[in-house]
Amino acid sequence: MKTDVAVIGSGLAALAAARTVQQSGRRVVLVWPGLSSLYFVFATVDVLGYPTATAADPIDDPAKGLAQLIAKQPGHPYARAGMKAVEDGTSLMLEWFKDAGLAWEGSLNRNFLLPTATGAPKPSCLAPASMTAGDLRRPEPIVLCGFVGYQDFAPELAASNLKQQWKAGEVSAVRVTAPGYGPDRLFTSIDLARSFEDATFRDAVAGQLRDKLIGDGARVGMPGVLGLTTPNETFAAFQRSVGHPVFEIPTIPPSVIALRLFDRLRKHLQEGGIEIIWAAPAHAADVTDGRCRSILLKAAGHELPVEAASYVLALEDWVDGALRAGVHTVRDPFFHQPVAWHKVPTDRAAESLFASQPFEQIGYALTDRLQPADENGKPLARNVFIAGGAMAGYDPSGTKSRGGMAIATGYRAAKEALAA
Amino acid sequence: MITEEFEPVTDTVEEEASVEACTKCTACNTVCPVARSTDIFRGPKALGPDMERFRSPQEAAVTPGLDLCSGCKLCEVTCPSQVSIQEYIRRAQNKGAREKGRTLRDWLLGHTRLLGRFGSLTAPLANFGNSNPLFRLLMERFVGIHRRRPLPKYQWLTFERWFKRHARPVKPRRKVAYFYGCWVNYNDRRLGERAVAVLERNGIEVVVPRQQCCGIPAVVNSNMDLARRYGHENVRHLTPIAEEMDIVASSTSCGLMLKHDYGHLLDIPDSERLGAKTYDIMEYLWMLHEAGELDLNFETVPMRLLYHAPCHLKSHGIGYPAMRLLRLIPGVKLEEVDEGCCGISGTFGVKVEKYDLSMKIGSRLFEAVKAAGSDQVLADCETCRMQVEHGAGATSAHPIEILARAYGHG
Amino acid sequence: MPDTSTGVVVIGGGSTGAGVLRDLALRGIDAILVEKGDLASGTTGRSHGLLHSGGRYCVNDEQAAIECVEEGRILRRIARSVVEDTGGYFVSVTEEDREWEPRFVEGCRRTGITCERISIEEARRREPALSKQVRTVFWVPEDGHLDPFFLVVGNVESARRRGARVMTHTEVSGFLRDGDQVTGVRIRDSKTNEEGTIACQAVINATGAWAGLVARLLGVEVKVVPVKGTMVVLSRRLAYAAINRCHKPGDGDIVVPGLSVSILGTTSAKVPDPETLPIEWDEVRRMIEEGAMMLDGVTTARAMRAYAGVRPLYDLGAEAEGREMSRNFAVIDHQQRDGIKGFTSIVGGKVTTYRLMAERVVDVAARQLGVGTPCTTAEVALNDREEPLDQLRHRPSRLGVPKPHGDESPLQPLLCECELVRPQDAAPWFKDPAVRDLEDVRRRTRSGMGPCQAAICSYRLAARLVTDRDVDGPSATRAMADFLETRWRGVRHVFWGSQLRNMQITTGLHMELFNVDRQLSEIPEPGENLPPPLAGEGQGGGRTPAEIAGQR
Repeated sequence: MKTDVAVIGSGLAALAAARTVQQSGRRVVLVWPGLSSLYFVFATVDVLGYPTATAADPIDDPAKGLAQLIAKQPGHPYARAGMKAVEDGTSLMLEWFKDAGLAWEGSLNRNFLLPTATGAPKPSCLAPASMTAGDLRRPEPIVLCGFVGYQDFAPELAASNLKQQWKAGEVSAVRVTAPGYGPDRLFTSIDLARSFEDATFRDAVAGQLRDKLIGDGARVGMPGVLGLTTPNETFAAFQRSVGHPVFEIPTIPPSVIALRLFDRLRKHLQEGGIEIIWAAPAHAADVTDGRCRSILLKAAGHELPVEAASYVLALEDWVDGALRAGVHTVRDPFFHQPVAWHKVPTDRAAESLFASQPFEQIGYALTDRLQPADENGKPLARNVFIAGGAMAGYDPSGTKSRGGMAIATGYRAAKEALAA
Repeated sequence: MITEEFEPVTDTVEEEASVEACTKCTACNTVCPVARSTDIFRGPKALGPDMERFRSPQEAAVTPGLDLCSGCKLCEVTCPSQVSIQEYIRRAQNKGAREKGRTLRDWLLGHTRLLGRFGSLTAPLANFGNSNPLFRLLMERFVGIHRRRPLPKYQWLTFERWFKRHARPVKPRRKVAYFYGCWVNYNDRRLGERAVAVLERNGIEVVVPRQQCCGIPAVVNSNMDLARRYGHENVRHLTPIAEEMDIVASSTSCGLMLKHDYGHLLDIPDSERLGAKTYDIMEYLWMLHEAGELDLNFETVPMRLLYHAPCHLKSHGIGYPAMRLLRLIPGVKLEEVDEGCCGISGTFGVKVEKYDLSMKIGSRLFEAVKAAGSDQVLADCETCRMQVEHGAGATSAHPIEILARAYGHG
Repeated sequence: MPDTSTGVVVIGGGSTGAGVLRDLALRGIDAILVEKGDLASGTTGRSHGLLHSGGRYCVNDEQAAIECVEEGRILRRIARSVVEDTGGYFVSVTEEDREWEPRFVEGCRRTGITCERISIEEARRREPALSKQVRTVFWVPEDGHLDPFFLVVGNVESARRRGARVMTHTEVSGFLRDGDQVTGVRIRDSKTNEEGTIACQAVINATGAWAGLVARLLGVEVKVVPVKGTMVVLSRRLAYAAINRCHKPGDGDIVVPGLSVSILGTTSAKVPDPETLPIEWDEVRRMIEEGAMMLDGVTTARAMRAYAGVRPLYDLGAEAEGREMSRNFAVIDHQQRDGIKGFTSIVGGKVTTYRLMAERVVDVAARQLGVGTPCTTAEVALNDREEPLDQLRHRPSRLGVPKPHGDESPLQPLLCECELVRPQDAAPWFKDPAVRDLEDVRRRTRSGMGPCQAAICSYRLAARLVTDRDVDGPSATRAMADFLETRWRGVRHVFWGSQLRNMQITTGLHMELFNVDRQLSEIPEPGENLPPPLAGEGQGGGRTPAEIAGQR
């Protein structure tokens, strides 16, 4: 299988890279080792929520915050990608969202402050339009609405927390019944999302809500289940029917909001003639004379070599196999190089779960062009570029920056791949 | 600088697909066409890796809901941890069937070759019966085959017998063995004829070795022992041939069995050598093209075509070679209809209790096909084609038939 | 915390204390169990869960072996729902093991343990994972798996149905005395620091490794040697039956498969303090290496977490060290020994013989109280009433069966998808005053004990704290975070492979999606703001989960 650029990965970094190559007019093949496990974390694109992993105050202006971060930490993935990659990558994605029919909002100069399912305000840069009415910089009172028997979004918990952390307006919680779903019956986000595409179901829910909403001006926070395949229409119709501004809050997995995003972007790439190779995890790079000749995929029965002029390795993070941890040695999955060694496993994990985790810092050493480097700083292969969680220092948890880092590194790696 | 000391405990990284690799991310549940279409299905995560931890050979199989899994394998295709979700479901279902017995219907549906032999011997009668409303009502009542599900037509002249009389090309460049499968043999000989024509046009001599049903109908009807027997037979007959030449299959699911499932799901020893030499026919032709050996003297085929990628094709991990090939043909306007599983999943949508679910799974695809208004829908898998014809009222073909046409065959 | 009174106060909520409470209740003696943590949160809940046939003791500790044989048979009768009757194997790997074999066979014969040598082929047919290094296999049908959590909870619920009371997270801070006579205990709520007293006629000290500390409050000495044991949990059953090394009991010589996991055990090291049980990497590594000598796949299996427990070995004054010390138990009659009336201690022993230990100590205490009713715990079944505890095993089959078509019976939802815990399995515990945090719910339901280590169910449980327990959001969030942290502390020791990858689901969900790390900085530190106890027994009237379940 031959192509110009091969992109390995299925998360936002890989999608951004594939789109970048597509826009250049060169041929690209996207190799999917399965759906990225972290898709539910991408309900929003978080560029930079906090200046450091422990800072208390959220960032208002991500672009400004990024400039400071890049100045302070030249080895950070953001610094390696560069401010221009952040800006260009973000515009590319926003345009792409629009082309693909996804209604998204936001800009690099301002973070939304959106309530999470535990009722915490969280700074996010880009978000689906169906979420932005929840912005806590606005003062309108909030009613959080859940469903009887639905465990994956708890309005009472979220409302009680939000009351403590947000003083601008009233917060309350209600539960309505989901017609057709009894309390002793299993139903998931996907079942609800499917049901919401049915006008009768939707109106029955909206009717119950209208009865419970007293007074004007309140906005309604719903679990992110308002539509699966036709979310724009479903959301608009539901909001009309409720008669109040409505916003979605991402639920615990499976998160429908992320599912919509990934489904749509993947389809849009395919509509544009980009081939996706499913179910063939890449497991080795064939490197001779400092160039990668092919990446070997584990297809059914045999190995499928993908021969490209250049490669973007954009597996999203550990959970997708971007790095493989043995008991002591961490290796990368392509060159099988040891990238870290630990005497004891506890060296990788902080004592508290909620602290900055050492394992997140592990990854490839990189050249200035995002090529994976050996210990002397020389590229392992000239025509291979890294994006996403396999980069050293890629730690999005504390700073709330996964989406932004994925887009910036995916974009920059693709640009380098095109120039190689 | 990284130093590697002696590691007393091996690096426990799951190189092989394993139930333990599951991280409970629910990616599989989000793509499962059954879970998306009904709320009585717990989803692949629950029935596969979650419950697998509670299964044990020493205890009775736990089977509730397992039969709702259609076997499309999209869960495995989607799993970022390469967990063999389907295999756990199939093994548990099979164990349950062994303990509790299986229905006559499932036994019959697992014996495709037997049905095929009988159907083709009695072709006119069988076809009359299969389209007779009264007979179908009785079949639904007493066998459990849904009366509205069109059944494939049987042909009296099988592909095997046709091939015996077929004249071989004079000076071939290569040889390839053709795994035609039950469908081509008993129901669609013409597809086989065209596959042979396309291969021969490219200077390839086609060999038709002795072969048995690939076994997938038996697998999905909880009869893994039967599938294993078939598999053993095929490995025995085909492995010596695979030493000399490549093997191509024109049915997506047959090809997947030979390539992968014999070794993994059915644990058939020494099946890897056969799997490594087996190719989907479109995959094989694309390899020829990349090697510069494909005859590109195509006639113009002025058709608007819609390509549906079968779920099992995704499991091959080879992308969509048919689309790449068809785009080489002048005149062809090709689009992909990317609406997921068609819903039939082999014998799944034939069953009386699954028919409605099967049609519901495929409904998005049917709508898209109807809206596209193309000349023909292409799919590499025979039951996908049956389902699209039934659900969307479209005509369908295997992509190789378009190639054959471009080479001037029919 | 209001003052109250009872007949007997039982200190310690492990298997022994729970057994004592049930024994007292069955004899009609009014009793309150006081536990400073949660039920089964000390030694019992941190055991490997082997129901001993006695084979491990039959050579060196004959008396302990004989007790195991008898008690094992009784438990199979009275506690069927907490015993997995898997049987077990003793396998020889090395030449030294082979030399141990005749002594083992002779020991089994002398102590009445059923033991049968089977061929390697037959053993491998039954347990395909047996290592190629295994040379000889003995089948010991009376080994099994005993779920320590459900055992303790089952005993306590059985006692509660007969009027006994239980106070968890309640520490005994001192004793009330009238001269030589103990007349009660001072108690303190370990979460709120509220204090109170329980007046009583007698106190039974069933605190195992902590027995010396409790006795010291009365100025008497009980010599208990806390011996730490470290265990590693693998995410699935590598075998069906328990696998023991056929040799002198040593480190890492047992694999206990139970429910959905396998537990590799265990090390043995004296520690100064039963509260502080640090896990060393060398211990974890040794468990895995030794386990791999008996079973294939141990090194490549997914380790979920490591944990350490403490054995309460009673120092009989012999020269024995750690594991060589007897696993026997002793009842200390402090009236006889120290001249203190109304105080009895029970020390040593093991989970398998908890019932016998309870019987012996209650015999002594009852005699002092002048109660002559005999013990009936060996005859009355633990779950002598229809209740959820009877249905814990084979849970997958209880999850709702969709009929082929037509009137599908609805699928029941799950709270913890890894361990197949349904909402109704957890619901009654939110009404139980003895349940104070999410770890307490975990011990009673297994929620959060699967591969994802509570990443998903912690949210669902926190939500229930708000809806079912009227806890405010910040406290519920803190409880959720604490629950995740306790899981994390075990996972850190096996931080590689899939378990590491899985933890990124946890950090992704709770930090990246929920922003819990920032939320926690807005919530007061633990201790100040945890779920308060419900009004209930020991605190002033209430109902037990069993009653609630009975009414539903």
